Amino acid sequence: MECPVPECKQRQPTELGRKLKRLRPWVQTGFLGVWLAPVGQWLHGIPSCVFHCYSCPLSSFACPIGVLANYAALMPVALEVPYLLLGILLFVGAVSGSLACGWACPFGFVQDLLGKIPIRKMSLPAWVGYTRYVVLVGLVILLPLILGFKGIPFGDQIISICRLCPAGALEAGLPNSAQSVMAGHGWPMSWFKSLILVAFFASALFINRPWCRIFCPLGGLLALFNRFSLFHLRFKPSECVECNLCRSRCPMGVNVDQKVNVSGCIRCLECSTCGALEACFAVPKENANPVSPPK
Amino acid sequence: MRRIPQPPLNPALRAIERHDFWPGFIAALIGIILAFCGARHLTGVDTVDGGTASETQLVKAFSFDGLQYPNQIAPPPPPKGNDPEALERWARQTRSAEAPTWKVRVDTAAKTPCPT
Repeated sequence: MECPVPECKQRQPTELGRKLKRLRPWVQTGFLGVWLAPVGQWLHGIPSCVFHCYSCPLSSFACPIGVLANYAALMPVALEVPYLLLGILLFVGAVSGSLACGWACPFGFVQDLLGKIPIRKMSLPAWVGYTRYVVLVGLVILLPLILGFKGIPFGDQIISICRLCPAGALEAGLPNSAQSVMAGHGWPMSWFKSLILVAFFASALFINRPWCRIFCPLGGLLALFNRFSLFHLRFKPSECVECNLCRSRCPMGVNVDQKVNVSGCIRCLECSTCGALEACFAVPKENANPVSPPK
Repeated sequence: MRRIPQPPLNPALRAIERHDFWPGFIAALIGIILAFCGARHLTGVDTVDGGTASETQLVKAFSFDGLQYPNQIAPPPPPKGNDPEALERWARQTRSAEAPTWKVRVDTAAKTPCPT
């Protein structure tokens, strides 16, 4: 289908957009220094706001999803409320929505790097994003709540979110297994978990951020705040020339030409390169700008 | 980059998507208060050394396999040798040992990584 808008092909990213695109991998790399701090082991008592396995030999914070699942599993014997975890997630979500997914999450960064391998990417229907909430409610909360720490036995392990998590396989299982192989003790990671890791790598070559889009319970949780978070994306009708650069650049397949602050967005700000969408903070007593006509 | 063709759209009719300040601010404020209280909160779970575990200790116990359940506490090993008197004493002690009153407790010194 040929685009009916004459300026469509000519429209190029703005200078700010180009800068943001160059800056994002460096910010993501910088955040690795926060999540992978080898001296920060004492911070394991504090949940982070990104998806990073606390069994990783270098992890400095606790995984929020692992902590939530453990609290749910603890509930049959001790009714405890994770105030610290809820507070951190509520604060991060209310301030920035899912900005942490796009700019700080180490597992998202790995998927971004895998996505740079030039293989044509598949598009996914928007409804797959709801699977994240099925994982959140089913695997992270209900399953541990019902089964406690017993889980569902599978071989010599039990099935829980941590046993199925590809981040755990990549960040904890892989380095620990590599250490074990080098020490001559064989490959300790189960074949099931190894298979999950291989499937994750394979899917990341053909789909942009497959874990984030289909399964990530933390991304789903933070994305709920996108509709009212202080940091948000705003549409400027006066700048829009209907070139669809915004939607074409979105790696998550969000229909940003219709609505941008939605649960599928990871706030990578790729869409803001066209200039018609701008990242901004909500401030009190903001004057309502009159809507200027489109160019 | 593959340019996606533009569907019919009138930018003037599209919502600007401006966010109000107060909902986000109030939620962030509640988040700060919850996080602050959580950091100082003592849970109802005991520690191995008889104290009460704080929330950060409980979270740390999740990471380091530091939760203990009564069924994980092994009985004392039988005495070495074939002394029937010692064996009888050990059997009597094992039988009379009281069942633990706690359901779960936190070993704050645990350092075993969670077996992910």
